[in-house]
Amino acid sequence: MRKVVVLCSLLICYVLLLFAVVNMPSMGDPDSITIKGPPGRGAVPRYLEKGAEECGGENIITDIILNYRGYDTNGEVTVIFTALIGVLAVLNRERKKISFSDMEQSPVKHSVIVYTIVRILLPFIFIFSLYVILFGEVGPGGGFQGGTIAAAAAIIFILVFGYSYSIGKFPTSWRINFEGIAPLTFIAMGLIGLFLGKNYLTFMFPQFSHTTNLTIARSMLMIIEIAIGVGGAFIFTSIFFAMQREDRS
Amino acid sequence: MNYMQVIDKAGTNFNYVIAVTLFIIGLYTVVAKDNLIKKFMGLNIMETACFLLYISMGAVKGGKAPIWTEGLKKSTVFVNPIPQALILTGIVVAVSTTALALSLMIKIYEHCETLDAEKLKRLETE
Repeated sequence: MRKVVVLCSLLICYVLLLFAVVNMPSMGDPDSITIKGPPGRGAVPRYLEKGAEECGGENIITDIILNYRGYDTNGEVTVIFTALIGVLAVLNRERKKISFSDMEQSPVKHSVIVYTIVRILLPFIFIFSLYVILFGEVGPGGGFQGGTIAAAAAIIFILVFGYSYSIGKFPTSWRINFEGIAPLTFIAMGLIGLFLGKNYLTFMFPQFSHTTNLTIARSMLMIIEIAIGVGGAFIFTSIFFAMQREDRS
Repeated sequence: MNYMQVIDKAGTNFNYVIAVTLFIIGLYTVVAKDNLIKKFMGLNIMETACFLLYISMGAVKGGKAPIWTEGLKKSTVFVNPIPQALILTGIVVAVSTTALALSLMIKIYEHCETLDAEKLKRLETE
């Protein structure tokens, strides 16, 4: 009975949404998208034309994320940090003196092939994540993406080699130092603008960047990118560690 | 609009149609399934549908990725960069909420030994 009611109401929703979507401007049509806007106005043409020279990054998306919408990203970086705080508040940090009896074995069956492949691939994955972080402002990539790749590599390591072995490789005592680095660096970079007599995050605003050297804006971009990458990687690794539980079976 | 025009328009707006379909599948999972993890999977599918819709709206036919590389002229057509920047934010927030929800589910399972929404409701009333 409940399923029928749910299905009927969802079907009505689906038909309504389909009609709305079909009546939208056709996809990919340059004229139907407000990418041009009225002459001289609209954010998108300005971002595309001036982004590279105002913010110092050839990748317009990085410019938008870190410069034009800097406040937004500042909040976003705080959101992932808050997620880590929430997870740790709910689950606690992994215990130091854990009974390894149940967790000694990794979820992956002991297999030489898996171990060897992971051992060979891990350095390359880490180097790739480093590349993605460092070249985020000239090519596709950025701090969040690179940090997630690094965290994925760490999670593969934990899954394959087991909890007790990997906790020795990524000890809590040095993971804890890097977890808050992303929001802290972002706020520090924002406060530099405040100390120079302008507003918070002023270096990100175009007028200010024009008067300063482009390399300064670019290096600030890179510092924030690296901080977001490193911080994100450590945050996701810590979340995964906190979620490790003893097998009850 | 007659029948054929609607079909034609649905063909050009194919990505939107898929996004709406995914959204409804996710909504069905959230509403109809009892398992909390399945409910959250449905929420993630809904999020993905929204991302797909946004990215598709920013697409321009023949548009290049908005990165200034050598050989690009001022007249080059780029895709709209703003949806991509927004969705990057959205993906990170989605991952954060997923992590928090999963940790809450671990705690619920440790306390109640079940993840079934109906059983949890019964436990609450008892």
